[in-house]
Amino acid sequence: MKTPVAQPAPTPAASVSEFIATFAVILGVIVALLLFDTALARVDIRGRKSYAAREFRTGEQLLSQGKTEQAIEHLRTASTLDGDNSAYGTALAQAILADGRPDAAEEMLLPLLERNPTDGAANLAMARVLAKEEGTEEAKSYYHRAIYGLWPQGAHENRTAARFELIDLLARTNAKQELLAELLPIQDDSTNTKAQRMSIAHLFVVAGSPSRAVAIFRELLRRDKPDADAYVGLAEAALSLGDFATARADLLLAQKLTPEDTSLQARISVTDSVIALDPTQLGLSQPEQYRRSRNLVQMTLAFTRKCLAAQAPQVAVALDSASALLVSPAPADGRAQSIQQALSVAQSLWGLQRTRCAPAPADGVLALIQNRIAQ
Amino acid sequence: MPAIRVAVLPPRLRKLVEDLRRKEDRLSLLLSLVIGALVGLVVVAFILLTGRLAAIMYPAGGSGWRRIIVPTLGSLLTGYLLFKYFPLARGSGIPQTRAALFIHDGRISLRSVVGKLVCCTIALASGIPLGREGPAVYIGSGLASAIAQRLGLSRLQVRSLIPVGGAAALAAAFNTPIAAVLFSLEEIMGDLHAPVLGSVVLASATSWMVLHLVLGDNPLFHVPGYHLVSPWELGTYVVLGIVGGLSSVAFVKMLLWLRARFLRLPRASLWIQPVAGGLTVGILGYFAPQVLGVGYDQVERVLNGDIILKAVVLLAALKIIATSVAYASGNAGGVFGPTLFIGSMVGAAVGTVAHMLFPASTAGPGAYALVGMGAAFAGVIRTPLTSVIMIFELTRDYTIIVPLMISNLLAFYISQKLQKEPIYEALAHQDGLHLPHRASATRSELQRVSTAIRESPGYLDPEMTIAEAAERVTDSVFESWPVADELGLVGMVRIRHIAAAMDQGKQKMTIARLMQIARRSAGNRSVDLPHVHNDQPLSRALARMRDNGHNVLPVVSRANARIMLGVVTFADILKEYGVESPDELDYRDQPDL
Repeated sequence: MKTPVAQPAPTPAASVSEFIATFAVILGVIVALLLFDTALARVDIRGRKSYAAREFRTGEQLLSQGKTEQAIEHLRTASTLDGDNSAYGTALAQAILADGRPDAAEEMLLPLLERNPTDGAANLAMARVLAKEEGTEEAKSYYHRAIYGLWPQGAHENRTAARFELIDLLARTNAKQELLAELLPIQDDSTNTKAQRMSIAHLFVVAGSPSRAVAIFRELLRRDKPDADAYVGLAEAALSLGDFATARADLLLAQKLTPEDTSLQARISVTDSVIALDPTQLGLSQPEQYRRSRNLVQMTLAFTRKCLAAQAPQVAVALDSASALLVSPAPADGRAQSIQQALSVAQSLWGLQRTRCAPAPADGVLALIQNRIAQ
Repeated sequence: MPAIRVAVLPPRLRKLVEDLRRKEDRLSLLLSLVIGALVGLVVVAFILLTGRLAAIMYPAGGSGWRRIIVPTLGSLLTGYLLFKYFPLARGSGIPQTRAALFIHDGRISLRSVVGKLVCCTIALASGIPLGREGPAVYIGSGLASAIAQRLGLSRLQVRSLIPVGGAAALAAAFNTPIAAVLFSLEEIMGDLHAPVLGSVVLASATSWMVLHLVLGDNPLFHVPGYHLVSPWELGTYVVLGIVGGLSSVAFVKMLLWLRARFLRLPRASLWIQPVAGGLTVGILGYFAPQVLGVGYDQVERVLNGDIILKAVVLLAALKIIATSVAYASGNAGGVFGPTLFIGSMVGAAVGTVAHMLFPASTAGPGAYALVGMGAAFAGVIRTPLTSVIMIFELTRDYTIIVPLMISNLLAFYISQKLQKEPIYEALAHQDGLHLPHRASATRSELQRVSTAIRESPGYLDPEMTIAEAAERVTDSVFESWPVADELGLVGMVRIRHIAAAMDQGKQKMTIARLMQIARRSAGNRSVDLPHVHNDQPLSRALARMRDNGHNVLPVVSRANARIMLGVVTFADILKEYGVESPDELDYRDQPDL
């Protein structure tokens, strides 16, 4: 019969030499494993990085083809495989933003910026996200961080591009002072291309500094061969300055250079209309000035009434009665005063509609004349 | 191993080594460092090899059929290896580690460690959706055990190194050194106050440093900083705790139920059984590739808010099925990783619904995925403290700790109510192993049966006659004697009953018959084989004596209750508690219990 009593296992007793030999072998194994692991880790990292780079390229390609969802998948894989490369995470966030999910893009960018607050690309992406989410003030701040942030490659080009995006945002939000502040540092940048200089000049007009725009356009015309766009720009600046005759002359020069551009004729017609209606034009007789100022009041009233009739009918009725009084014939000796009164009323009405109604097109006849009067 | 002749050793070195061997605390310190470094490096190699092999098996742009073929072939290969060469390498590794600790005196063979490493690498790389952490714990403990045995350490020292190796492995596998320490004590040892704490901490820290040296400082998951949006949000985390607890129970019950079915299949089919898991995983993976493998990439995506409600619900359900079938069918791999996966998906689902209903007062679904991981871990593994610390370490995000604690405790409580036996104990039970429950290991129960055990007085054969038995037990001071047949212990017989039978002239009656009569007359108080285990508290032995009316109990092995290690007597227990027994206990003076 077998004994049911368990026999205790004999305790192995190693000798001193075995003890040392065992330790020596273990230490040898540790060193060998350290070398093996390090080599294997390098292979692994290389493999992951190259796979991630492939996925990134595919993602970017798909994104440029407008296949956003597929691009996101590839960019996400790239970002997961190589989390250290913030370019992948940033590209993924941009793709998610392009997919119309600014919230998710923002969540993705936050840890990247936490890890590296000076990352130019991540700051630019965050600025775009915030601009999309209508967080204009925060977006401006991130644009500035992108401009002054670190870019591993093409720093100057990327910073300029970031600044132009910021300028575009400022122009869209009509932040004229800030726009001017952004334009001034880059107006004399010698690395700017002709297209960029042209754009800067146009933006100076938007920022309310047409004289700077004129200087840039003239410089461009002096340096390069005659260019229709430069003349159109000059015309825009002249219109902004209220110099309608010069604007017309510049538009005619542009038309001469590009006769096939039909839009120029429309612009010339607008300029002609402005010249024909402008009550402040030099050399006009007083009756003509009087006629033009009354006409201007009527035009402004009609424009304002159209907008206010829907919003505030009682104001529109009041305007009707006011117009009846204002356009009543004035005695010949009081015409100078009447002209001033009419212009003043026209300005007030224009100001009223600007606060209450959707903005009128800046290049419209009425807007141009009102702008001129305001100067 | 090359032998160094003692004669060539410088005397000073020899003395140093001998000193080192004598002073256990110094040796323990040195071994903790060595084991930490070695286990850390082996686990890092395991992780890297699995990753590389998976990249080869699933190249970019590979055909969808590959997702069916590779897991099937992978499980076929591992099934054969497990059946033929490494039977102990099956499954997670945690129950096997505990079995080694509580049954085999801490002995784990190097062969099963190698088997675990090879089989798990193949299985996990082929896309079997099991975790690498449980196997890593077994590998770490096994290496520690092998080193200790090789160095000729005592059984106690070998045992004490099991949690040291386990903690080092988990620290490297999960990149969570503190949670690794807690897990080793809470789950493997079942005692947070275990005296090996210092060694465990040292090994865990060393292993973690090795990991950082080789792979750099990266958490397992990169997570955006989440925080509690409003105090009302805690209510949503309560819901998450409940859902997480219920999901955990569903997962554990399904896994155990399926495994019980597989265990009933003929032994000859053992090598092919894992293929059932591999094929199921392959078919599911064909339609949902995210189900394949551990799935930490997918978890990271969800943690970062890339969530579609239908997808996360589906993935949670599919992962529960895939993991249950893969594990139950006998593949090599653990349940840690899948638990985190399931938890994150469940959390993301709850979070998405909550955010849809209360967008202003709840965080994004990523935060819930994070807490969901912890809730599932607490519900499945049943280590609430470890799970809180582990999630914190995995993500290095402290801000979510309060919701995490609430959800974890709820999930733990629900799981405890609906599934009495924790997963690792239930798995061990299915294998016929009776491992101690950690809840029993309280400070007041530190006095173990092992301290009072004494050699058995011998045993009686069941076929022996009353007359033969009476002669054998003459002058015995024991009240009862063990009865054993060729398969081992069958029960205890009271000497009082032998004497009574003799008085009644039943000398020819067998001991087996006498035991039968005694059992019948004892009614409800009787059990077939009253016994205690070596590691059980003395209080348990006293309770058993009260229940069975014996003042002598056999101490039996946990691996086989019919193997007797010795006996424990009422008098010896009293002595251990410091109560002086008036005289040597004599059954003739004892009242009838």
